[in-house]
Amino acid sequence: MERCFHTYRYPLCEVLPSLDELARHLHMEGDVEHPAYHYMQQRLAELAASTLETIGGYVLGRVERMDTAAGIVTVEGYDFRVGVQVCGYLKEAEEAALFLCTAGALFSDEAHALNEQGEFLEAYIIDTIGSMTVEHAMDRIHRALAEEQAGRGLKITNRYSPGYCNWPLVDQRALFAFVGENPTGIVLSNSCLMHPIKSVSGIIGIGTKARRRAYGCVICQNKTCIYRKIVAREQGEM
Amino acid sequence: MNELLQKLFTCVEFGKINAASPYPPQMRGEDGAQELTQQALAAGIAPSQIMDEALIPAMTCVGQKFTEGKVFVPQMLLSAKAMNAALTYIKPYFSSGEVQRKGTFIIGTVFGDLHDIGKNLVCMMVEGAGWEVVDLGVDASAEKFIAALDEHPNAYVGLSALLTTTMTNMKTIIDQVHEKYPETKFIVGGAPVSAEFAAEIGADGYAADPQDDIKILESFLNA
Repeated sequence: MERCFHTYRYPLCEVLPSLDELARHLHMEGDVEHPAYHYMQQRLAELAASTLETIGGYVLGRVERMDTAAGIVTVEGYDFRVGVQVCGYLKEAEEAALFLCTAGALFSDEAHALNEQGEFLEAYIIDTIGSMTVEHAMDRIHRALAEEQAGRGLKITNRYSPGYCNWPLVDQRALFAFVGENPTGIVLSNSCLMHPIKSVSGIIGIGTKARRRAYGCVICQNKTCIYRKIVAREQGEM
Repeated sequence: MNELLQKLFTCVEFGKINAASPYPPQMRGEDGAQELTQQALAAGIAPSQIMDEALIPAMTCVGQKFTEGKVFVPQMLLSAKAMNAALTYIKPYFSSGEVQRKGTFIIGTVFGDLHDIGKNLVCMMVEGAGWEVVDLGVDASAEKFIAALDEHPNAYVGLSALLTTTMTNMKTIIDQVHEKYPETKFIVGGAPVSAEFAAEIGADGYAADPQDDIKILESFLNA
């Protein structure tokens, strides 16, 4: 399969959280007198008016081997040690999309600077906007992939990321090696962390029998996991 | 309690930073933590009394409300900001020795992990409880903790992680630190961490929220 990066760019105004969504996330619905509320309103408007955009996408590859006992998925010669749990969710996949997406450095740089100035609340808000923005952008890419594959009569799975569900972070190296050259500008640190910080990476399975399912939140204790929030968001949309 | 200290307590509890702060609405136009701390010092109230009777109890109250789900992170951060406004005037007395810190707490998010919101909250609350806090930031290695302990050998250490795949790095840090500082006590916390996991990796305490950190640190002092 010819490997190329399918790129998706979204202007911030399309993927920023709404004021209501952000306020709900921060447990501040209706608290319009709170200084944070005014800051959220102002900063969201400024960001929406900016020319900044998120950038992300994926590379498709053929699944060559699925070792569900060992929790390893092999995609065109690259082994991904996704763990037994994720491997089980991907087991029907005939192909896989390895994805990257970033909201850029602005959010974490600004949060860092605000923290340094003692503006903890504003730092927390901008950090949260960044996290929500990159996940919204990735939601759009996920949907675009689903539509594209539906045209081929194929379905897709949920998305899974190194660092979550027992998929070791060190596998970021294999993921970035597989993806190869791409326009996102995301780089890996020695400890396999992505820069810009507001970036996501991972795998989505594709196949005739692939399907989306509830994330394994019932057995996981991580209350702040982004995938738990995706589930909540999707349930809210239904 | 002295009326000024009572007002200062309320300002920190509700995040009233200074007179110009419009929040909370019911305190609009009134003096905030900044002015009240200055007034308390000018009235001859000892800085240690301001800490012990107003600032520390106020932050304890906020921490307790957070634990009980009565306030959330934004409210807590606003209180921390009010506390910081007050501390600006108290900090000179820390260096002069007039106000004694309870001890030193070194904290960082373990290597491989960049999540810092929980860790930052712990920093603010523990500092507000009268401790000196050395924040090593995120992606902190064992070497970084050892270097901080070289400077503060009697400090207690807090480790934070948000990912199931990075919380295992806590054990690596504890083991490496204990090779040089076998007596160092650790508190671990973070979304995927549990009391069982803390015991398994040799930590001395598990903190489910910032208030737990303070309680455990106090218990170390009283041990």
